[in-house]
Parts: sequence; C-alpha cells; structure tokens
Amino acid sequence: MAREGESRSFRRKFCKLCLDKVERIDYKDDRRLARFITDRGKIVPRRISGTCARHQSQITEAVKRARILALLPFTTDQYR
Amino acid sequence: MKLYETTIIYDPSLEEIRINEEIEKVTQPIAAAGGEVIDVQRWGKKKLAYLIRKRRDGTYVHVKHKSPPTLIAEMDRRFRLNESVLRHLSVMAPKDEPLPEAAPAEGGEPGADATAAPAIVQD
Repeated sequence: MAREGESRSFRRKFCKLCLDKVERIDYKDDRRLARFITDRGKIVPRRISGTCARHQSQITEAVKRARILALLPFTTDQYR
Repeated sequence: MKLYETTIIYDPSLEEIRINEEIEKVTQPIAAAGGEVIDVQRWGKKKLAYLIRKRRDGTYVHVKHKSPPTLIAEMDRRFRLNESVLRHLSVMAPKDEPLPEAAPAEGGEPGADATAAPAIVQD
C-alpha cells in the first residue's frame, strides 16, 4: 500500500489472531484478552487493533464475560 | 441436555471445607436432574479486577456439566440466594469442542475452550 516517495507510509494492519490461527477466544483467558483492552479497560476498536470481524466479535463476547467474572475490569476508576 | 460451563466466585473467607460443601450443592442437583458433572476445576483464590461486595479476592470454582436447560435457571436462583456466592456465570460450552473425557489429562489449561452462545446468567 505504501508508495515510494510518499511522506506518510501506510502499513497494512493485519489480524494478529488470524496470524496465530486462533480458532476461538476463551473468556477465561484473561491474559490474552488483556491485549485487546485499553489501560482504561475499554475494548480496543477494530480500526486500531486491526483484528478481523470474526475475531473482534469473539473478543467482544469474551471480554464482556471476563468482566462479569472480575477477570477484567469494567473500568479502572475504582480501587487504587 | 446441554453442555454448560458454570463459574462461581465464592467469598474468599470461606474455608476449604465450606467450599467443598458449596461445590456439593452445585453438583448434587445436576446429578439429581439427570445431568452429568464433567469436570470441576478449582482456580483457588484470585484477585478480583474490581471490588465485589467490598471483597478484593474471590475463590473461583469452574464446573463443566451437562444439564437440562431448566436447571440453569434454578441454579441461578440458588446462587442469588446464597450469600457466600459473590458472582456466578453460566454459559453454554462450545459444542464442537472435543469431550473432556477424551482429552488427555488436562492441567487447567484455560485457553482451549469456550466462546459459544447465549445463556449468560449474571447476578
């Protein structure tokens, strides 16, 4: 995508989960999910993380479940 | 009969023996309803990502079981009434997952399963 001579160089984003051939994302795997939330606890949008639609929806589902089980925070305002 | 995964967070002050009793209270009705308890995992005491009823920790128990769907509602009701349960979640386990009986001795690998559909029970 990046053409030579252009000041701004684009790098094509790719789905990291597709690269790792992840079949399904587990809500119990909070370590993996932690990569897809911001430091405030929000789910990172596709446009930033570059995940494919299929994996993004799995992430969303899993993060929401993990939040219920207090494996991931809803927000980081509390505590501290 | 459907395959479910139920995770329960108990009060961290519960002793081991009481936890065993509590697990019994979960597994007994499953068997009584003609279901089957496939696996009981104790994750032990874990730090919570946020306070639940002013507790910072919780004792996690994860139960994989085959149950009639009506039992899930009943389980939910009991968990809500149970003061020692801080949080619980029942979800349907993915059906295309190989049955745990066939799987080689699992050592708590929390990365292989789950993602299925509905049946989210929250308190």
